[in-house]
Amino acid sequence: MTKRSSRVSIAIVGAAAFTLAGCREEQVDASAFPDLQSCLDESARGGMFTPQECETSFAEAEALHVESAPRYDSLEVCQEQHGVDACGTEASATQGGSGSIFMPLLAGYLMGNMLGGRTGMAAAQPLYKTPDGRYTDASRSSTFSNNQGSTKLNTSQFTRPTSTIGKAPMTAASAVSRGGFGSAGGSRSGFGG
Amino acid sequence: MQKITLPERPQWRDHARDVGFSFADMHGEPYWDETSAYAFTLDQIEIDLEDPATELHAMCREAVAEIIASESLMERLAIPEAHRDLVAESWKQGDPEIYGRFDFAYDGKGPAKLLEYNADTPTSLYESAAFQWQWLEDQIAAGVLPEGSDQFNGIHEALVARFGEVFETGSDLHFTAVAGNPEDYGTVEAMGWAAREAGLGAHYCDIDKIALSTDGQFLDDEDRRIAVLFKLYPWEDLLRDDYAGHITGSGCLFLEPAWKALLSNKGLLPVLWQMFEGHPNLLPAFFEADVADALQGNGAASADTAAAFGRAESRLTAGHVLKPILSREGASVSILKSGEVIEQSKNTEYSEHPRVIQAYAPLPEYDGFRPVVGAWVVGQACAGIGIREDRSRITQDLSRFKPHYIVA
Repeated sequence: MTKRSSRVSIAIVGAAAFTLAGCREEQVDASAFPDLQSCLDESARGGMFTPQECETSFAEAEALHVESAPRYDSLEVCQEQHGVDACGTEASATQGGSGSIFMPLLAGYLMGNMLGGRTGMAAAQPLYKTPDGRYTDASRSSTFSNNQGSTKLNTSQFTRPTSTIGKAPMTAASAVSRGGFGSAGGSRSGFGG
Repeated sequence: MQKITLPERPQWRDHARDVGFSFADMHGEPYWDETSAYAFTLDQIEIDLEDPATELHAMCREAVAEIIASESLMERLAIPEAHRDLVAESWKQGDPEIYGRFDFAYDGKGPAKLLEYNADTPTSLYESAAFQWQWLEDQIAAGVLPEGSDQFNGIHEALVARFGEVFETGSDLHFTAVAGNPEDYGTVEAMGWAAREAGLGAHYCDIDKIALSTDGQFLDDEDRRIAVLFKLYPWEDLLRDDYAGHITGSGCLFLEPAWKALLSNKGLLPVLWQMFEGHPNLLPAFFEADVADALQGNGAASADTAAAFGRAESRLTAGHVLKPILSREGASVSILKSGEVIEQSKNTEYSEHPRVIQAYAPLPEYDGFRPVVGAWVVGQACAGIGIREDRSRITQDLSRFKPHYIVA
């Protein structure tokens, strides 16, 4: 029994510990579909996904829709964010939902290849309309011009959206200010002890 | 404990450059110095350093509970009034600690004496956990150290285990430090490696690029929400920053947690002495305001410290150290013997703060250098040591890092 570690990460080049974990490096093949049928149609033509995957992914996106769709306390605000005729009540979208909470209608789903089972990831994401006629995901971290087509996307696009009840990390938000930490240290150059 | 002269690894500077250990030399002076190393017996490591450090951390946790229950202690530790609830809440809800470093005066003979606890932003983590470890592997492989030589250094493994214990796999952690300081960054990156090895996502953002969202959460430089923030930036500064008022309600878990502000503070030393007077690893310590008059022979110690001061007076008169409650890298520290200043830090950055008085425990001297033993605590147990030595009696930022080994 030695007193030392059996192995140590000693590679500490530049920002390696962080860039490897960053959200940019890994890409996957991804497709967007407006509905289940268009996925099944494409699979019949030999597309990227099997009919089974279409079914599973669509079910996953629908479940995420119920859990993570943006929720609003008025129809006006929802329509402002997603366009006229793009919103419904929570009651109509989910069992036991409220008639006075409003959610955008599911307007498509985004599927990533080879993402099943990865922690914190969802192989399929619900898409919603934006007021200018584009499509956005549940956390509204990305906006796409269309809800149909294939491309390569960063895996971060498939980060599981957070439940709209509580907010979690790594979803984007807009900043109201920046730079409020770090000033009290004044002219000191190092902060360790 | 002995200091042993050893041949340097011929390629170590190349290796340092290759792994990005860019501060191996700082300001033209060696920082990493392997021309000699400190040798310990296993008993010295386990009985004199490891067990006491673990025990001291437990005592410090008791001290936290004591301090947050006392408005006057919070005041004496200069915790801004507006943020005392934040500090207290972080303790009550059990926000987890990751790491800390006790600095000991230790000569291999008597008990290690606690000089201070770097409980909030200890650096030299990379040198201790990784570069020192590689040194031992290389020197055994080269036959410079005999097979079976060991090192007290389970730091990296303990950090991986600690991150894994505190966070769910796949959680995203942010790490931040002040931009442009390779030494601080080295510690942050060593932390990032450990977090990644524990299956967590590690993201870095300079501290001045952190933003506040419209709904009061902290965002990184790509506007992503920060749920957990490891900050190599001390609480005493954080609590005085513009965003301090937004920490509560941000939903962000800070590492180290806010309650560490009570331990990285030299005001901890008199609190510990009051709670555990006579403990073999503690030095008598008092708030200066309580005992200054008595020490100068101009009056009495304050009523609640008079008895304890009486018991420690001869040791304090023989030699004591004055330390501002908030001070880093030896700044504004002075050492007095029989009333004469024998050493004083030239850095006066923290001189406006109230001070504590601690009995003087001289560092041992080897070849003109005085080593301080840093005992790393990960979670709640001691996991390794790192040694820095200086010619001065006050260990400062240019002190050299020395490797150590346990004799086979």
